[in-house]
Amino acid sequence: MHLTLVGLSHKTAPVEIREKLTFPAHRQEEALSLLLSTPEVAEAVVLSTCNRTEIYAVTAAGTDGSGAVVDFLADYHDLDRHELVRYLYFSEGEAVVRHLFRVVASLDSMVIGEAQILGQVKEAYEHAFANDSAGRIFNKLFRQSFEVGKRVRSETDIGENAVSISYAAVELAKKVFDSLDGRTVLILGAGKMSELTAKHLVSNGVKTVLVANRTYERAQELACRFCGLAIRYDELFERMREADIVISSTAATSYVVTKDDVAAARKGRRGQPLFLIDIAVPRDIDPDVNQLDDVFLYDIDDLSGVVESNLEERMREARRAEEIIGEEMAAFERWIESMEVVPTVAAIRAKAEQVRSAELEKALKRLGGLSEKELKTVDALTTSIVNKMLHGPTARLKMVAGEKDGYTYVEAARFLYGLDSNPEGKAAHAGLIRSLFGRAERAAERAADKGTQSEMGDTIGC
Amino acid sequence: MEQAAVVSFWFAMALYLVATVLYAYHFVAKRPVFSWYATFATGAGFLAHTASIGLHWGATGQTPITGAFNSLSLAAWTLVLIYFVVEHLVKLKLYGAVLVPLAFIAMALGQILQGSESFELSQAALSQLDSWRVAMHVAIIMIANAGFAVGAAASGVYLLQGAQLKKHKSSALMKRLPSLTQTQDLARRAIMLAYPLYTAGMLLGIVRAIEFDLPYWWFDPRVMTSGVVWAIFCSYLLLHYRRGASGKLLARLALVGLVAVIILSILARTLPTGFHIFGL
Repeated sequence: MHLTLVGLSHKTAPVEIREKLTFPAHRQEEALSLLLSTPEVAEAVVLSTCNRTEIYAVTAAGTDGSGAVVDFLADYHDLDRHELVRYLYFSEGEAVVRHLFRVVASLDSMVIGEAQILGQVKEAYEHAFANDSAGRIFNKLFRQSFEVGKRVRSETDIGENAVSISYAAVELAKKVFDSLDGRTVLILGAGKMSELTAKHLVSNGVKTVLVANRTYERAQELACRFCGLAIRYDELFERMREADIVISSTAATSYVVTKDDVAAARKGRRGQPLFLIDIAVPRDIDPDVNQLDDVFLYDIDDLSGVVESNLEERMREARRAEEIIGEEMAAFERWIESMEVVPTVAAIRAKAEQVRSAELEKALKRLGGLSEKELKTVDALTTSIVNKMLHGPTARLKMVAGEKDGYTYVEAARFLYGLDSNPEGKAAHAGLIRSLFGRAERAAERAADKGTQSEMGDTIGC
Repeated sequence: MEQAAVVSFWFAMALYLVATVLYAYHFVAKRPVFSWYATFATGAGFLAHTASIGLHWGATGQTPITGAFNSLSLAAWTLVLIYFVVEHLVKLKLYGAVLVPLAFIAMALGQILQGSESFELSQAALSQLDSWRVAMHVAIIMIANAGFAVGAAASGVYLLQGAQLKKHKSSALMKRLPSLTQTQDLARRAIMLAYPLYTAGMLLGIVRAIEFDLPYWWFDPRVMTSGVVWAIFCSYLLLHYRRGASGKLLARLALVGLVAVIILSILARTLPTGFHIFGL
């Protein structure tokens, strides 16, 4: 068994290529079925988002798994294989695990810390699970990757800080007002940016939207979009008293809001803060306004600065996320090691030796008075019996372990010899039975689909 | 029993110290598990503290309102109790990093000042204390003081957050601190509830002083300081409700009020004059 990843993302391919290699939800079943029909692929998950298309596969050892996946991609999307390879990246083994964990933790996303990717990976896995293309290994790997996603979200602040101007404004408003529910926002000037910011504020609970513009009709038009109220420009400072947040974005070439205007509007607010966002260039609001008590003015540069420091903060948090990934990788590796043939054979031999030594000791106590030569002979005899008994099964186990479904034999051997007392806290044979039967059922279905008469036993290698 | 009271007292102090460190660490590192440990340590400390007060009372027969040690210990106990109410209401552990150490300091000061008192309570003085009015006077003023401490702590956080927002830099501190309106509301509500209690507590004390016909009772340093505390928080409420003063001014006033409370509770106690000989 071998973990293989073939994919492309916003880092390696332009949108013209990415859009050609998508796997929409309704075509996943077909794609997965085609992938599993290739002899090299035992398990597969297809992750397809606007920024990445990745195929995770468990492939048979000693085969060209990556090549098979590339062939599938080229055939499925009718693309030139050589052209396609230029945009692809390939990973194998441990690197696949790390890559998946980084993707789920959104460390590989276009915007580090974005929350969408975890849901997208879950969806991809659910498709694979529903279509029986996720088996024992991917069930474990992907479920563990969701743990990684959850841990990174809960133990770091990677997704906490806004990385766009309009969200930064909302985030700051929440630091001033706690909740935006029932607040009033006054939009000064009907620019696109102020509209976008107001939109975010409204979606966060702002109740009343007042719009003031030199052209009253334009103010009405914008107010209509937010079910707000257009106000006459000459009423601006009168109505500013009602506002908690002011967004200014006019085309004026000088300050339209001065310190005195705000000082007058502040009266009678009983110490309630006023948050002003000036996203106009040249600025609309006199920067001295920020000197007033309970008044907080942010211009476009201030907001950009906040975004920049938030990005830096996310990068710092990304380092903490990498540590979590390291811990989870170690846990996954411990599990995968238990599925490897060499440690399994060693464990079988150790267990047999333990039994032999214990039984020999008991027998020698009963026999008593044996000469040294006799002792050596008995010891050699028991050792020889154990070795001969184990040679056949362990040799065959080593032989089949590299095959497509080889790990099922390893798992069977571990179960039969009682090497894992209670793996994962479940019945020791549960995974095996699921694994064997799941694969057998799928193989039977595939055989039936093809109209062939393959034996179930052939598929599982009995 | 007295020994058990002392052990419980030190145990409570140690737990409050541990809780302070845990609250501070939770604030810096934002690890929810530490906040749980901090609350647990505070709760355990509070139980040990309650046991200490009860055992001390039982062992000495001394009301827990006599002397610097007892009264500061009781003040710390009230503060922790009020903190639990605040934590339950605002669901914020931040104030634990401010109020629990305040309780710890009060206990430590009580311990330090314990030896400095050079008075022995006479039988007459003890009988004076044996009055529901005196007990209520002390209890109400302590609860009010704890309320003022909460108001001042929230005001301090308000000033800190306000300064962060004025700087226009997205700092970790800004992200960890609660919003301005939340701190403002907490400060206002705490002071609004504490102020009438304080007034009632003062009136009970005045009634008791008049009953005993104490000459120049208003000339007592602690009575005068309490008048200052009362005036400061009266100004706070008037400035807020009548004049619509700025949040910054009100927050500063609340901090000044807390300083006056500390002077009243600690410094005025050390003066050799006055009739507040019970260390109330």
